[in-house]
Amino acid sequence: MVLESTRVIAPARELLDRAAGLRADADLMDGYARRLLATAAALAGRAAAPAPAGPALRRQAAACRTAAGRLRTAAEALAAHARAGA
Amino acid sequence: MRADGHAPGRPARDQHHARDAQDDEELLRRCATDVAAVADGIRQVSLRTGAALRLPAPTASARRPRTALAARWALLRALTDRRGLGGPAFTAPYPVRRTPGREDLARLVGVTALRLKIAAVLVNHPELVHDPGMRRLTAAVTAGSDPAAVRALRRLFQDRDAQRALAGLAPLMAELPAVRALLDASPPPGPDRCEGAAEAVGLTDQERQVIATEGSLLGFLRNLEVLSTDGRILVQNVRGPDGVVRYVVQAPGTAPGRPRTGSPHAGTGAWRDPAAADPPHTRYTRSVLLALREHGIPRGADLALIGHGEGGTVLLNLARDRDFCRAHRVTHVIAVGSPPDGGKPADPRTWVARIVNRHDLAALPEAGGAGAAGPSSGPRPNRYEAHYPGPSREFPACHLLRAYIAHLRTVVPEVREYADEALTPYRGTVVRTQAYRVLDRAHPPEGHPFLTLPTASVRTTTGPVDVPVRYYDSSAAHLCFPVDARTARALLPDAGRMAPSRLGGRALAVLSLYEHRCSTIGPYAEIALSLPVGDPWRPRPYDVAADLLRRLDLRRSGRHVLSLAVSSEEARTVAQELWGHKALLSGAEADLAGRALRFAAPDLGLTVEGRLGPGIPCPDADWVLYGRRGEGTVRTLVRTHGRPRLHTGTGMRLRLDTAAAEPMAGQLRRLGLDTARPLFVLACPRVLLHRSAGALLPC
Repeated sequence: MVLESTRVIAPARELLDRAAGLRADADLMDGYARRLLATAAALAGRAAAPAPAGPALRRQAAACRTAAGRLRTAAEALAAHARAGA
Repeated sequence: MRADGHAPGRPARDQHHARDAQDDEELLRRCATDVAAVADGIRQVSLRTGAALRLPAPTASARRPRTALAARWALLRALTDRRGLGGPAFTAPYPVRRTPGREDLARLVGVTALRLKIAAVLVNHPELVHDPGMRRLTAAVTAGSDPAAVRALRRLFQDRDAQRALAGLAPLMAELPAVRALLDASPPPGPDRCEGAAEAVGLTDQERQVIATEGSLLGFLRNLEVLSTDGRILVQNVRGPDGVVRYVVQAPGTAPGRPRTGSPHAGTGAWRDPAAADPPHTRYTRSVLLALREHGIPRGADLALIGHGEGGTVLLNLARDRDFCRAHRVTHVIAVGSPPDGGKPADPRTWVARIVNRHDLAALPEAGGAGAAGPSSGPRPNRYEAHYPGPSREFPACHLLRAYIAHLRTVVPEVREYADEALTPYRGTVVRTQAYRVLDRAHPPEGHPFLTLPTASVRTTTGPVDVPVRYYDSSAAHLCFPVDARTARALLPDAGRMAPSRLGGRALAVLSLYEHRCSTIGPYAEIALSLPVGDPWRPRPYDVAADLLRRLDLRRSGRHVLSLAVSSEEARTVAQELWGHKALLSGAEADLAGRALRFAAPDLGLTVEGRLGPGIPCPDADWVLYGRRGEGTVRTLVRTHGRPRLHTGTGMRLRLDTAAAEPMAGQLRRLGLDTARPLFVLACPRVLLHRSAGALLPC
């Protein structure tokens, strides 16, 4: 008896779409990093701003950039996988 | 120098400060909104990355296992890298199941946004720093590193005892539910049933004297003030100038720091019970509908709906209910101090007015004080929005209905006149007044069962007071000092009759500190100096020790209150007139809920602070308090329910920064407490208590 797997092999086109989505998310994360840094800059020197907000925003902006890099790497890996299967 | 106190040609310093504060607030608010949007965006990216990881595995392909594995690994790294998105690997749809010890980036950014929003609120309302909810929230968001703050905030959101305090944070109510959802920190689920109820109740003679007999805006608002704290609404039948009988439904809001006994909450419902957040179906609205049905309002009759705070919100929701508006014609809705409603009334002819003090954070949670400088009509027809700057910024005082009534009389009389003109069909004789108690059958009353007691109304110079006076959310610390028995005896009013109880040859002095966050006489802080005394008729040195084994009502010994200071006028009146304590009115800041205690009464020049030493649990400490009225002694029973602990007092210190000899400072000095440390401290971070009315003894 032959059992058919329920798993479906994602076609190359779909993998490329996913890779494009990841790249778009990476761009978004870069944008978020810029926004967080701009916020930190706007708050710099303001006595009313909570003291840990500036360093926290800069840390989180750095995390956004790292995340963007990881997402681009994942997008490349997916694209390579799609090309390998084509 | 001009009449306003400023030199001509010189910029007014206060104006500069006000403008700077306004700029800071706007900037912080804008930054908070932007950072919150970034947090939401990161959360969406996390969601999509997690979804990509969960899609049918590319590794299924046997022909290209290496590239498939590399792709999967890269996706996993993108999702879970602690230096990046920091999410957990194996996730269901967001909110993701938490991995102990790690918090994802969206949550960290969300907490930063909340920090900024808190700072924005505090710029113009620094008094909120002392708000119990704000204190706990601030302590959580500043708890060490970012992940530690996220965890502290999650614990706070899930803490059952914290829900009351958090629900009172009106200025942050737009943000807190979103942050709570982001942190996956829903409170413990409540009952599924959603049962509102209403029953007709009578008014007391005293209330009947105050209830308006002629229709007018101020009359209706004064009615609301009479009803304000015990979950009643009022329906009045008014015969208008044209002889037609119309109906006025009046729904009060909650007063900050006072319990809402047994009635459903609407404004805070979205926080306490997210499942019931759909406005037209809140239990309060349902209860109001039931009350109106019981009142027997005929189909097609004209109705005016007038409410304050969350009462106004409920009535605005009612006006949006299509079924209700098919049965009755809602001609007017007036909401005073209520937040903006998003929708339109079901009947387009309904005239809707919202009257808001622009410093009232509960009514303008988003605008944060911005608003029109004077009464203004909104762009929509049949809509009247009056935003005015009240004389005081202090919140929550500016949210009180009493403040709105005063402002409508003196600050913006034109708003009152305009609303009265609109209410012309209702400006006639009141022919029937009926109060309804709106009930929440799905939940036990607040403080149940300890505080569900029969009560009676007692008249005082500031108005009727229900006794026993009940305290729903308090913190207490009693600092016990050994003192010289002869000095103590000399401080007692009648040295011949009352004698201090002894402890190993010394007398004991007790300095009691209270932070009452919610009580039937409102929130206030209290400091009392008292001496344990024996039976007034047959005093024996060790009465107190023997009495500790007796039931409270059978005790003859107690604590004689030498001096007392409270931070609210209502509490001062009650202390003097009901309990026979000579009370001073003094501003006070109290923080008694943690291990580090602080109580400062700057008007008295008195500060108590320090850290509690090691402690052991002990039974609830009920007390008999003695005061003086005329030539008699007043005996009051105080019952408590909490988890008190007995601590060593070596870490606590009392500081007197005054040379005044006014009662409390002078007595403290005579007893030598200004330089002493307490022998022990009986502390209770959260305690319920009730105090009976005082009984006058002929001694």
